[in-house]
Amino acid sequence: MTASVSAPPGAVPLGLVALGGLTAGAVSVGLAATSDHLTMPGLHAALFNWIMLSYLLCGLIAWRRRPDSRLGRLMIAAGIGASLSNLAWANNAAVESVGLAFDLLPAVLFLHVFLAFPDGRLSGRSARALVAAGYVTTVGGQLAVALLGGFGPENAFAVADRPDAGARLHDAVLATTGALALAGIAVLAAPRPGGGRPRRRAVAWLVDAFALGLLMIAVLLLMGLAGAPGFVHVQRLTLFVLGLAPIAFLLGLLDAQLARTGVGALLVRLRSEPVDLRAALARTLRDPSLSLFYWLPQYASWADEAGQPARLPDDSARAATIIDRDGEPFAALVHDASLNDERELLDGVTAAAAIALENGWLRAELHARLEEVRGSRARVLAAGQQERQRLERDLHDGAQQRLIALSLDLGRLETRLGANQEARSAVAQAKGEIAQSLNELRDVARGLHPAVLSGHGLPVALESLVALAPVPVQLTTRLDGRLDEQIEVAAYYVICESLANVGKHARASSATVDVRHGDGQLVVEVVDDGVGGADTERGSGLRGLADRVEALGGQLRVWTPRGGGTRVRAEIPCG
Amino acid sequence: MRVAIAEDSVLLREGLASLLAEAGYEVIARCGDADQLRREMLVQVPDVSILDIRLPPTHNDEGLRAAIDIRARYPGVGVLVLSQYLEIGLAMKLLADSADGVGYLLKDRISDVPEFLAAVRRVALGGSAVDPVIVSTLLAKRRRNDPLDQLTPREREVLELMASGHSNQGIADRLVITLRAAEKYVSSIFGKLGIPSTGSESRRVLAVLLYLRS
Repeated sequence: MTASVSAPPGAVPLGLVALGGLTAGAVSVGLAATSDHLTMPGLHAALFNWIMLSYLLCGLIAWRRRPDSRLGRLMIAAGIGASLSNLAWANNAAVESVGLAFDLLPAVLFLHVFLAFPDGRLSGRSARALVAAGYVTTVGGQLAVALLGGFGPENAFAVADRPDAGARLHDAVLATTGALALAGIAVLAAPRPGGGRPRRRAVAWLVDAFALGLLMIAVLLLMGLAGAPGFVHVQRLTLFVLGLAPIAFLLGLLDAQLARTGVGALLVRLRSEPVDLRAALARTLRDPSLSLFYWLPQYASWADEAGQPARLPDDSARAATIIDRDGEPFAALVHDASLNDERELLDGVTAAAAIALENGWLRAELHARLEEVRGSRARVLAAGQQERQRLERDLHDGAQQRLIALSLDLGRLETRLGANQEARSAVAQAKGEIAQSLNELRDVARGLHPAVLSGHGLPVALESLVALAPVPVQLTTRLDGRLDEQIEVAAYYVICESLANVGKHARASSATVDVRHGDGQLVVEVVDDGVGGADTERGSGLRGLADRVEALGGQLRVWTPRGGGTRVRAEIPCG
Repeated sequence: MRVAIAEDSVLLREGLASLLAEAGYEVIARCGDADQLRREMLVQVPDVSILDIRLPPTHNDEGLRAAIDIRARYPGVGVLVLSQYLEIGLAMKLLADSADGVGYLLKDRISDVPEFLAAVRRVALGGSAVDPVIVSTLLAKRRRNDPLDQLTPREREVLELMASGHSNQGIADRLVITLRAAEKYVSSIFGKLGIPSTGSESRRVLAVLLYLRS
């Protein structure tokens, strides 16, 4: 928050407010008691003082708690300003006329207070226009009515004798003010930029209380306009409700106060057991939408709790409270913008959670590093795979082709040798040597990379593997289309190595190979009915397979109970 | 007879072309990739096309796709696929539903000139040539209660030659037995394995391979 921090009210302003309040209260009681035209003067004076006290006291509390916000001072001004309308109770014609001119002022003062929530400033063009129109309509309009000779014969301001026109103008003023109150509800309920209804409960209540007050004002004014029966009762009810609005505000403050006492509970909870830090903070701050981010300097990026790179939301309904450590940003709480009014609470919570946040930061950083290691492992594997593929290609296109061409030449030569037995057998021996070399090269090349896999996919590649297996193998493949080459290669090697193990160690009579793709993963399972108890660490090549599978974010598991066969299962995530 | 060749290794392509020319074939196209072979075939149709299973540009499945393509478009043209590695899955993909005029051989077979030329000739005339390694691998495949165990060693030999695409006469010549004896072995094998005996020789290649594969 960049706004300058103002001091809470000192003794002099407090004294002035007290004096103003006492004077307004005393004057209202005096006027009501002596009024010769007020029915039920006691009730009127009580209702006025209820409203004034409510605004005055709540205004003072707000001023004290949030010296930054102008709302407290605005509430005090509204409370005292509303007393101007009491002058209408006076017996003196001139004073009564002044009171009548300000008769509708309180309605606009309340509108002003409601629309200025929470910082005491009218934000937005429509709010400012509404309030300005309200002041002009009520004070200006009523004065104009008085000048025209409205408000009866004792009107001291009359310069013209047009009571009919005055009455019509008065109706117009009532209608306009009522409409402004309704428009005020619309402004309150209008979606806030970037967000809907406030996500925090206390604020939602407050907005409801304001809207109710404005609605009552509108209803009252329109009833007065229509001369509806029961006006007096609605008027009293309205005055009562208007006094309630600051109470709702006070409840909001109390909620924040309670939240502050929750900081202690938070401290205890964070200390006692491993907890979901975000949930605990959200509970204490009473903001379920709260989210938590950490700054990871080595990646120059914000990250969420799982270490995934993240951006702080760019949204005016959300606010970020950045927590610093040694002058550097370290963590951020992203919360409903209304929490900005409760700086002390936020400060208390972040202080209480300091150690837990530190732990959370370490966890996020660890996750981010793990992610990085996993990524580099996958890249190493991919690079190795690429290199092996390149070597296989080089062998295929180079040495193997040359040897085949050479043996072709020898074959052609052989046909021309006729009956020269010695030469024929020499050529046959050379051809045999070449055939032997080709076989060896083929084994090497196949070990480097099963070329058939790149060209034709797993099911085609597995067929020879299964046919060459040392025991009868039941092969089931359920794949729709090709998978990522790395995944295919990993699956191929899992099956290749597992079947080789079946031949070497299992003493099995049969095996099954099951390859299926579903739910975003490839599952490969090789099961034999052998003796089990395989050594999963040494000699079986299972460790290398696990590395390969894990580098792709997958998992390799082996069940090999003694006497119960061996089951190798690889699960590799794929799109 | 006319032959077209698609092989990206120049050494091998030219060696193959010379070999076939010496044997009396008319080599009408020498292509470096599958697309060139397709274009040449638009101009002149050979009796048999010989192609490498790994062809540019990616060296993945271009050769096999071209082979399957040619079989579909020119049913009268024999297709002989050569490969440095033998894959049962690929052989079955190539044969798919008929072994008429199809061959799948290891490249090394080129060096046994008479045998290779016999295979080319069989494929050109609408017969089959399946590499012995494919057949022997399938024969060696482990099965539960293997019905092949009922066969005599002689019958196994006959089965192997039959699956490779040899005719009854071819089998008789190789084993130095009479044609009648060869026919007797064949019908005995079909009886023991429960394979319905079919007329054409290339059709029985597919029947035997499918039997061995399952």
